[in-house]
Amino acid sequence: MQKRSEFSNKVLIVGGGMGGIRAALDLAEAGRDVVLVDKSYSIGGLMTSLDRTFPTNNCDLCTLSPRLSESGRQLHIELLTMTEVEEVSGDAGNFKANLSSRPRYIDLQKCTACGECHRQFPGCVRFTPGLDHRAPTCMRYPQATPYAFSIDIDACSDVDELVKVCPAGAIIPDDKPRSHEVDAGAIILALGAEITDPGVLDTYGYGVYPNVVTSLEYERILSATGPTGGQLVRPSDGQKPRKVAWIQCAGSRGLRPGFQPYCSSACCMYALKEAMVTRERFLEDIETTIFYMDMRTYGKDYELYLQRAKNQYGVRFVRSRPHSIDPVFKDAVMTGGLDIGYMPYSSNLPAAEEFDMVVLSTGFRVSDETRSLAEKLGVELNDCGYAKTGSFEPVATSKPGIYACGLFEAPKDIPETLVQAGAAACCASADLSPLRVVQEKSENFPPEKDISGEPARVGVFVCDCENNIGGVIDVKSMAAGLKELKDVVVSETIGHGCSRDSLERIQEVIRKENLNRVVIGACSPRTHEAVFQDTLRKAGLNRYMLEIVNLRDQDTWVHTDNPAFAASKAKELMHMGVGAVRMTHPLADHTLPMNKDVLVVGGGVTGMKAALSLADGGFKVFLLERSNRLGGTAGKVRRTLDGQDVQAYLKTMVEKTESHENIQVLKQAVVVDHTGMAGMFKTGVQVGARMVYRQITHGITILATGALVNRPDEMLLGAHDAVMTQLDMDALLEDNPEGAKALRNVVMVQCVGSRVPENPNCSRICCQTAVKNALRLKELNPDATIVILYRDMRTPGMQELYYTKAREKGVVFVPYELEDKPGVVADGKKLSVTFTDPVLGRKVQVSCDCLVLSTGFVADEESTEDLGVIFRLPRTSDGYFLEDHVKLRPVDLPTPGFFVAGAAHSPKNIRDSIAQAQAVASRAQTFLAGDSINMGAAVARVDSNRCAACLICVRACPFGVPFVNAEGHSEIDPAKCHGCGTCASECPAEAIQLMQYEDDLIFAKLDGLFERTA
Amino acid sequence: MEEFQPVIVAFCCHYCAYTAADMAGSKRLHYPANVKIIRVPCTGKVSALHMMEALRKGADGVYVAGCLEGDCHFRTGNTRATKRVAYVKKLLDEIGIGGERVEMYAMSAGMGEVFARTASEFTEKIRRLGPNPARVGRDNPGCATAACS
Repeated sequence: MQKRSEFSNKVLIVGGGMGGIRAALDLAEAGRDVVLVDKSYSIGGLMTSLDRTFPTNNCDLCTLSPRLSESGRQLHIELLTMTEVEEVSGDAGNFKANLSSRPRYIDLQKCTACGECHRQFPGCVRFTPGLDHRAPTCMRYPQATPYAFSIDIDACSDVDELVKVCPAGAIIPDDKPRSHEVDAGAIILALGAEITDPGVLDTYGYGVYPNVVTSLEYERILSATGPTGGQLVRPSDGQKPRKVAWIQCAGSRGLRPGFQPYCSSACCMYALKEAMVTRERFLEDIETTIFYMDMRTYGKDYELYLQRAKNQYGVRFVRSRPHSIDPVFKDAVMTGGLDIGYMPYSSNLPAAEEFDMVVLSTGFRVSDETRSLAEKLGVELNDCGYAKTGSFEPVATSKPGIYACGLFEAPKDIPETLVQAGAAACCASADLSPLRVVQEKSENFPPEKDISGEPARVGVFVCDCENNIGGVIDVKSMAAGLKELKDVVVSETIGHGCSRDSLERIQEVIRKENLNRVVIGACSPRTHEAVFQDTLRKAGLNRYMLEIVNLRDQDTWVHTDNPAFAASKAKELMHMGVGAVRMTHPLADHTLPMNKDVLVVGGGVTGMKAALSLADGGFKVFLLERSNRLGGTAGKVRRTLDGQDVQAYLKTMVEKTESHENIQVLKQAVVVDHTGMAGMFKTGVQVGARMVYRQITHGITILATGALVNRPDEMLLGAHDAVMTQLDMDALLEDNPEGAKALRNVVMVQCVGSRVPENPNCSRICCQTAVKNALRLKELNPDATIVILYRDMRTPGMQELYYTKAREKGVVFVPYELEDKPGVVADGKKLSVTFTDPVLGRKVQVSCDCLVLSTGFVADEESTEDLGVIFRLPRTSDGYFLEDHVKLRPVDLPTPGFFVAGAAHSPKNIRDSIAQAQAVASRAQTFLAGDSINMGAAVARVDSNRCAACLICVRACPFGVPFVNAEGHSEIDPAKCHGCGTCASECPAEAIQLMQYEDDLIFAKLDGLFERTA
Repeated sequence: MEEFQPVIVAFCCHYCAYTAADMAGSKRLHYPANVKIIRVPCTGKVSALHMMEALRKGADGVYVAGCLEGDCHFRTGNTRATKRVAYVKKLLDEIGIGGERVEMYAMSAGMGEVFARTASEFTEKIRRLGPNPARVGRDNPGCATAACS
């Protein structure tokens, strides 16, 4: 076990992008204190500039922004923006960090983000450079956290005037830099990366020809909040382009100056996304072409995404890396058109094609700031500038107690960043003092007053939000008018309703007037509901006796052109709010006592790693393994790509697992039944050769059931001695190096049994495995001829360096098409392999003494199907477990309390499996930290007297929650209900109500609108 | 004669359309004040009864605005809502009120412009259709409720 700090319960997280936020949330929810530091003036990082994200093509703001405000209000998270790390001393468990914050010149407590300063002094506020030149606000994006402005004091000529325009008095002209000292048990570096500068690639003309843009700039053009308001127009003349081209690897996978040698991992997917969104959103007749070397769609279901782009959206693919971009002239004037010059892969003749706009798929690079910070902290970087980590410790840096996640570790996409963030959180909490009770830091609320039987006493508070509401409508006279409404006891205005003074005033009035319901006319409940709910709780009221009327965002901001309309609408909205609040009744958040034991299904590396991480944290773990030995697929792997000994690692891990006092290993164990909900699961297992039944009670379930090594009957596998899989080759290289050395001609075929209709996804591990084995063969026998037949070489991130090395060593790589697979025939002890050489344009036959097939993984359909039925969990069409959100919740399953990791999620190597195992351990701890779990109040409730057991709700529920119970009526488990209300609106007997959104509440709003509240 | 000011009820899902409405506000986009938003967790929550009651109580038009197809936070709420709106339209056609008084829209949270445009277009359409003949809640047709009170 690692050394634990004796006092520090705090983690310092440097970098407030998605990775930093996720790690902070995980730790905070698990009861740890976090200091989250970001050098920018709002958190969110790179993702906030994206228009939509793959593979869902959702806009991400709606999914990201709640996370950010979540982050903003977490009690355990201290957010320091515009702050950098100056110095760190100490060791794991006892770090001392000196931080310095630049002045924002804005008081975060007072700023309401009204934008007055920006309107009057646009030059004094910061905005994102580049294509954002017409950014609508000076915040980086509309839902920035913190929701406040930042002043560029040097750009301001008349500071006194600027101070005067702020209605909230939030501008502090003499704001000073501040320094802080933080004690931390562990540090997480989520530093992110920069985008490569395509300006240095002289042949692409970026910065010279305006219609050559980077992919991030293209995102901004597509974005609704971008400079063109979401209109696709090219920069040179504002015309809609008809032909757009993407050039992949613009700055990545290159050895020439300006290029990074590694693969940036995310660009193929985002180029597909941009091309698809372009086709979908703008014009059917717009042509989209992607110039690529290898399409690297290796993530979960990413291959299907590539197929969709090709087949459904008609995106065109050209396999070539263009050598130049030249402007098109007409009558000696540049038309804005661009000629892309390239060598087609299947021809020796150069080609050129004209496009209206060219998008450079720029990759990631490590910034100089990151390098110098790493040096300051004593964290070793690899040759490319990314944090040095190991195959078995994917997020541990060279310095104990400091962990890396996201782009700082290596180029990767958002889901993998979030997985690593979880892993880093898991490792960091192992360095802290043992967990104390979480509740100690939660706010002390007085007991809730019993208001049953009381007539409604409504208090109305109308916020003026300075001029934002008060400047458009007369809040005083409106508030006075609302006093006339039934049950309204008090109606008054409050200045800056969300300021501390006003919140205290509301509490005071609630107590003095003995209010039991409150209506607040203010800004959006999306951002401020929690604040006002807490205010009610502090005053002894149930937090759900509240209605927030969105006067600002949905009225006064919209109808500035017609104050009379704004006033009448505001009044109507307030009437609706008062009508509705009268119908509210106290609701309890559903809390359940937490059983803190954990069930892990699957005893491979993933299962063991998750079990060990949790067991080390003091939780009791039941580890089920269906076979009679631990180890899973890793038991068959000998070496990792970087040469690590897998068996030695596995042996230690098995020993640790079997001897751990908190882990009970059950071998030959099969899950047979399951009931309950998060915090109180009961799972029946049959154990041992005699299949003894026993029931395990646990609070969390982790699925780490892995996948199966594929062995399809193809290309004479199993029929000829010289045909083997990469795993066989791995074993041969270890056990019989002399035999391997004797091989003179080796052919490897990629994607055998993967990326085919029967198993449509990429198995992800095979390209690196082929490169790994080819390099080992070359090391034993440099004269061996090795030909690798591939469809797309997928060696993302730093794996690319091994691919480059293999080519340097003379390994021959030849692409083939799915429609033209290599042919294999036996030739005595040898084999004859026929394939099409795309350069020669003809069939080539080679003789080899060994044929190695890269067969990858297939889903363990039988197990996942059984477990899917028993646990009621969804699966993908190819039989892997389906997580709750492919982008943002990669290891959470849709049912609370269930998590998935490793190859049961999708094919992956040991390193990525370990990261996921640590991530689920971190996610699980967010549940396990508390003594109870809060399920919220918005759940559907069945009135059993009205239920006719018609099964409509059973069918309607998107999550399969309702069932007809033994008493013959529908039952909805509040722990499983997600609160969408679909069942309530489908129920023909109106027997189901969704709490917080009951029908009578909605009808009361309508009555309020049509003046029938009285 | 003064221009007819219809009352429009818009049921907006918390995750997309309601957020888009907030976004329209933060961008200071204008749309008619006739539209009154009722927030629901998901458009799957909006029943046929909610739409019919809104019309009966006095609305001249009702629309439901949810997430883009495939984007529903609750997976399928928006597709269910789409079907329900189609059903209510048919019903309204049959009873002579006219299905065009009810509509379903889809937008993502970032689409403030789409929210504003939709609100304007729908309001204009209902304005052209004239007052809802079935409403019982308002005794003075041709006049927005609060504006006249």
